[in-house]
Amino acid sequence: MALTGLEIYKLLPQTNCKDCGYPTCLAFAMKLAAKQAALKDCPHVSEEAAAKLESASAPPITLVELKGDDGAVKVGNETVLFRHEKTFYHKPGLFWRLRDTEDGDELKRAAAEADAYHVDYVGIDLYLDGFAVEAASSDPATFNAAISAVKSVSKKPLILIAPSGDLAKAGIEAAAGSRPLLHAANGENWEEMAEVAKEAGVPLAVQAEDLDGLAELTQKLKEAGVEELVLDPGVTSYRDSLEQLTSIRRLALKQTFRPLGFPVITFPGANSEVDETLLAAEQIAKYGGLIVLEEFNPASLYALLVLRQNIYTDPQKPIQVQPGIYEINSPDENAPLMATTNFSITYFSIANEVEGSGWPGWLLVTDAEGMSVLTAWAAGKFDAERIAKDAKTFDVEGKVSHRKLIIPGHVAVLSGELEEEMPGWEIMVGPREAVDINSYLKAMWSN
Amino acid sequence: MTIEIPKEKYTGAVREVTLGATADEGGTRAHTLTIGGESTLPYLQFEGTIPNRPALALEIRDRKPDDWSPLLLQAWGEAMDDPGEWAKAAEAAGADLIYMVLSLTDADGEPNTPEYARAAVRKVLDATSLPMAVVGPGQAEIDNELIVPVAEEAEGERLLLGICEEKNYRTIVAAALAHNHLVQSKTPMDVNLSKQLVILIHDMGLPLERIVMDPTTGALGYGIEYGYSVMERLRLAALGGDQMTQQPMLVNPGEEAWRVKEAKVGEGVPENWGDWERRALDWEAVTAIALVHSGANMLVLRHPETLRRVRSVLDDLLGSQS
Amino acid sequence: MSRYIATRAIRGANAIVHEADLMLQRAMEEKGPDTPVAFPNTAYYLPFILGMTGREVSKIGELPPVLEHAKSLLHPVPPDARWTPYLGETLDSGMATLFAEEIIMALKFVYGLQPEPMPGLELAGSTSFTSPDNGGGPSADGHLNGPIDDIQLRSWGIQLVDGRMPGFAAIVGCAKSNEVAVKIVRELQRRNILTFLIGNVNGRSIIHQLVEEGVELGYDTYTVPFGTDTISAIYPLGFATRSALTFGGMKGGQARDILLYNKNRVFAFVLALGEVDDLKYATAAGAINFGFPVIADTIIPEILPTGVTDYEHVISMPFNEIEGADDLERAERLVQKCIEVRGVKVQITEVPVPVPYGSAFEGEVVRRADMQVEFGGKNSRAYEYLRMVDLDEIEDGKIELIGSDFDTVEEGGYMDMGILVEVAGRKMEKDFEPVLERQIHYFINGASGVQHIGQRDIAWIRISKGAAEKGFNLKHFGDILYARFHGDFGTIVDKVQVKIFTEPEVYAEWLEKARAAYDERNVRIGTMTDESVDQFYSCTLCQSFAPDHVCIISPERLGLCGAYNWLDCKASFQINPTGPNQPIIKGDISDQDKGYFSGVNEYAVSASHGSVNEVAVYSIMENPMTACGCFECIAMLIPEANGIMIVSREDTSMTPAGMTFSTLAGVAGGGLQTPGVMGHGKFYITSPKFISADGGFKRVVWLSSILKEQMADQLKEVAEREGDPDLIDKIADETVCTDVEGLLKHLQEKGHPALEMEPMM
Repeated sequence: MALTGLEIYKLLPQTNCKDCGYPTCLAFAMKLAAKQAALKDCPHVSEEAAAKLESASAPPITLVELKGDDGAVKVGNETVLFRHEKTFYHKPGLFWRLRDTEDGDELKRAAAEADAYHVDYVGIDLYLDGFAVEAASSDPATFNAAISAVKSVSKKPLILIAPSGDLAKAGIEAAAGSRPLLHAANGENWEEMAEVAKEAGVPLAVQAEDLDGLAELTQKLKEAGVEELVLDPGVTSYRDSLEQLTSIRRLALKQTFRPLGFPVITFPGANSEVDETLLAAEQIAKYGGLIVLEEFNPASLYALLVLRQNIYTDPQKPIQVQPGIYEINSPDENAPLMATTNFSITYFSIANEVEGSGWPGWLLVTDAEGMSVLTAWAAGKFDAERIAKDAKTFDVEGKVSHRKLIIPGHVAVLSGELEEEMPGWEIMVGPREAVDINSYLKAMWSN
Repeated sequence: MTIEIPKEKYTGAVREVTLGATADEGGTRAHTLTIGGESTLPYLQFEGTIPNRPALALEIRDRKPDDWSPLLLQAWGEAMDDPGEWAKAAEAAGADLIYMVLSLTDADGEPNTPEYARAAVRKVLDATSLPMAVVGPGQAEIDNELIVPVAEEAEGERLLLGICEEKNYRTIVAAALAHNHLVQSKTPMDVNLSKQLVILIHDMGLPLERIVMDPTTGALGYGIEYGYSVMERLRLAALGGDQMTQQPMLVNPGEEAWRVKEAKVGEGVPENWGDWERRALDWEAVTAIALVHSGANMLVLRHPETLRRVRSVLDDLLGSQS
Repeated sequence: MSRYIATRAIRGANAIVHEADLMLQRAMEEKGPDTPVAFPNTAYYLPFILGMTGREVSKIGELPPVLEHAKSLLHPVPPDARWTPYLGETLDSGMATLFAEEIIMALKFVYGLQPEPMPGLELAGSTSFTSPDNGGGPSADGHLNGPIDDIQLRSWGIQLVDGRMPGFAAIVGCAKSNEVAVKIVRELQRRNILTFLIGNVNGRSIIHQLVEEGVELGYDTYTVPFGTDTISAIYPLGFATRSALTFGGMKGGQARDILLYNKNRVFAFVLALGEVDDLKYATAAGAINFGFPVIADTIIPEILPTGVTDYEHVISMPFNEIEGADDLERAERLVQKCIEVRGVKVQITEVPVPVPYGSAFEGEVVRRADMQVEFGGKNSRAYEYLRMVDLDEIEDGKIELIGSDFDTVEEGGYMDMGILVEVAGRKMEKDFEPVLERQIHYFINGASGVQHIGQRDIAWIRISKGAAEKGFNLKHFGDILYARFHGDFGTIVDKVQVKIFTEPEVYAEWLEKARAAYDERNVRIGTMTDESVDQFYSCTLCQSFAPDHVCIISPERLGLCGAYNWLDCKASFQINPTGPNQPIIKGDISDQDKGYFSGVNEYAVSASHGSVNEVAVYSIMENPMTACGCFECIAMLIPEANGIMIVSREDTSMTPAGMTFSTLAGVAGGGLQTPGVMGHGKFYITSPKFISADGGFKRVVWLSSILKEQMADQLKEVAEREGDPDLIDKIADETVCTDVEGLLKHLQEKGHPALEMEPMM
């Protein structure tokens, strides 16, 4: 049974020293109880208390961090099986696999192209997280050169696929200054790999036939002093992946089974029989940690990045879209102007309907702190004052020549007030549901 | 060391629902189609049974739609000009059932008529022997006006009729009662509303074995996370023994995905969105896969290639079956 | 149970079964047992027989066992000396009668005597009798309808099931005059009620009356003439039986289920016009088996206790004694009574006012310059009062203006006005009065050009010049309220009557009454305690974003959003029984002080999907209630002060907890149980049950100043209740301190009682 905040509070110094970064001991205790803070942030906790708080002090799934020359990827530290229970915290890293057998210039070209890949999703910048460079040549020098080539065009974090101590060492040298993941220790090579990882202070992936093998190895590696581990269960199919990754997550969370309390690395394209994009999608939804892609395809990557963004959205902190004035179907100054909130779903449903209807239109998306129309209205985040203010901020008067603003039917009550806030404007009350926009415009918009 | 995989013990299971009726059962379908019945979370066969695989439906219309992506027009070609031909093409593409959406208007913008809808449904029933779903265009009055005669036309075929929503379900349910069909109960991404509509429909006297629940999902990038979590919650509630959440779930990634810009638009989009066709197909397939993993029992798709891809995933998850 | 009715029904049954027996014997001889019997165009054989016995009768030779069954249901006429009980015998006789009637009708088809000929009659849509099995009976021309065919059954059935048709009426006999007959049918048609016409009085039938008056009869006008004899009553009851088979998914032979289905789902009633003879009594007894009540316009003994039907079984409403200016008004009331007795709900879809109406107009402001007239505000007073009355006390839809309309005051003027809404309903409760009364604001605001603010006796209404020009007048308030209360609250409201007062004396008289009622309500809710009720209510409205949160709402603890109190939830449950407010039986009380109830715990486990196991309704320290995110206030333990602070949603300042409201909201919300933190509604602070397990209001050491201001009066009362009149002054707020050090200093200076109370932790 997890400790409550009050129980934890009793074990803390109760000095409100703020050294942990929280304003009071009680506030810190509640964060600990929610598994959102680590006990090590309190420098004053007594050993006795720390022992009692053990279960609350270490997250059940170790956080593993990869760093590039610029940028980092953190995976692990998850606390739930289903996103609605709390949230999924650390998005799986998406990496592209390159091989050192490739010509150096080609490697550079490919890595540079993938490095430059960015897409914008509701104001969020999405991109590939890094590269997995494989020592396919089995030659340390070639491997070293390949890593240098990739590093010369990209500062993203790396995974070094180097199945021996020598190769690993060569890779680590080439990657100096960053914090790559070494892949991978197995039953044969684990001692040498452990040595390299420990020496370089980098995380290490672990490969074994099955979960028993993985658990045995992680324990050995921990004893050898490598704490940051990543599990590679070697999954190659949809079913295998789902069963293995679910088992690992359950063991870690439900039984606090420390030997498997690590994030997972998968290679969805390893089996050519499998549709890589769809297996990667499955792994994003179901417990993947680091996902290494065989193919770099902008279209598929975009879909996967968006899925990852969606699944890892905090269910209690909805995605917001940037407040502003949005153009739909290339509107001109006579096109209807509609106001709504910046809750992503609200925005999408309206934008979709208007777009689908063929009407050119202006959408005034106000800053309602990401709440839907009714919620925002009830919370005072979507009132006449705010709408009027945003109408000014985003210069609607410069966009449309008419002076008519359509507001959502659910906030019809705002119409009178809004007319006072926006002198000279006619406030029209639109439909309650987005699906009715088309018929509403047909009936009410005369241009 | 031998690790014991933690298994959950569930008290409930998803209800089995059967669509279509063979000649013996008062219809004309070659076989029936049963969905639901699982006693575990999606595809975790190590802890429960999954007696029926999810059904893959292809959506067709009673006439060639005006607003579908050119990519879809290309995929179906001339078959779209006739609902019977389209249905045959969908059967050939491997669909488990035909999901037919009636149009709001005819090609000239005149309102659709009960006679037309009836004839179109008849054509499809004659053209294929697959079980079938028929839903209205989504405007309460017109839906009711079209679905009632369709229900009569297909008496005994055990169609899935829709779409029942909180504000308009009584007439469609009554038609299903009168002519022995099933209904699709659709609610906007909310566990309690899903449950409530099932209760209301059941209260009218329709057995639970004839209700399929559509929780509404949103497309990839357009709110899918809500639908995804609502489905997971519904499924957990079902397995936990909550009777009114045990209906099999129908989702519509075809419609959801193909109406978003990413799938629909080929020009004037950022270069990094990549190849249009691949993006569009991935959008539909990735949406579908996310929903497969959150518990979908029936997926309505639009592109035959997506059906093929999703089918191969299901074949692996459940072991291929032919 | 009336012995009189029993006697006559039993006698009627005996006679008709005997008649059926004779006819059957004759048919067996003349036509032979292998001659087919059937009603045309139905796949349900002889539907009543099929439904009640499961027998699929298709030949004359299969009828004798049915007749034997009918005979077995007959009883001797009760002797004069015996007085109880008769209900069972009467109902049995009713069943026997219906079996006999269906046998007779089936045989009449064999002899070509059905459907009943009526030369010259042209039906507007009817069953076609083209089947050769018809025995060469009358052609499509010049006959009454006979049984309803399956196609029409499904088509009407769908409308009855989906609610577009509220129900059906079987009218038996003959009206006082042709005029009355027409009026009754028009009243039923106006309400979309399907009307079946049957029987006669001394040879004259309502069918004759309507035909003479040129009323179109047939499927297309929802008015179906079955036959001029009482026996044709079997057709509507066969229709009812088939409805259950078709729409209820029942099989032949499930007699009890079929009868219950009709009682629960088919809103039908029998209206007996004119003298009631033995056969009519017997047939009526049959209808009562279906849960269909009988209303007679003559003097007959009533059967008022309910049981087999939802409400009364038999009602007598002698036509000439009905209140009303003339026969037409009496006819209208008679129909109204029928509707009430069966519990048929009236459907009103449009609000009949001369200005546009809809929720889109809710926010409209009527500025002084555009104003035609105002009620309330600075210069005048307006009040609104809704009260519950008995069903007999009011007339549905009656709207009265007592006094002059606003055309008597100049443009831009003002006047005093009162609105009295009287509602009656079998499910209405006194406690729903305030819940419904609050709706007046929304309902009136929906009219374009009308602005409504406030409630009770501080209502303030403006009507724009535009609305006045379009002809809007005071009576339209009544039209709006009538339509909306029926439309939105039809499940609890059966009748609505509205009075508008501008006449000074009546206005003043009702203002007094309204105020007395407001006071009474205040006292009622103020004195309602958690101990005085045996159930609380849940609210799961917010589960869409806080999936595991459930509000437990008790009389002394309103919802944390402040929007729902116990009475609101109670009404909401009546209106929407599958909605978010469900009753929670308190169950065993394991700890009254902390507020542990077995029913609450069970509900919390299931509604939170297992994430909450126990709730202490009156504690913040131990298993406190969870919160969604809509809370008006957050209370949080300040361990150093041995008390709690309460911060309002409207307060953006720092608090002694080291967090602002919005940061705290992240800790308090999301449906997680976090001892030491609790979201709640602001009026909960004044409840005697406010964290009563932890010491109650005296634990409050810090309170947002905005709450102190808004609730100054109530807080003062609470301080007095707690026996410390200066308590509010001892409580800090954000103007005093926003940290623990400052708080402790303040508390010590003022001598706050929390410092002396037993440790919270």
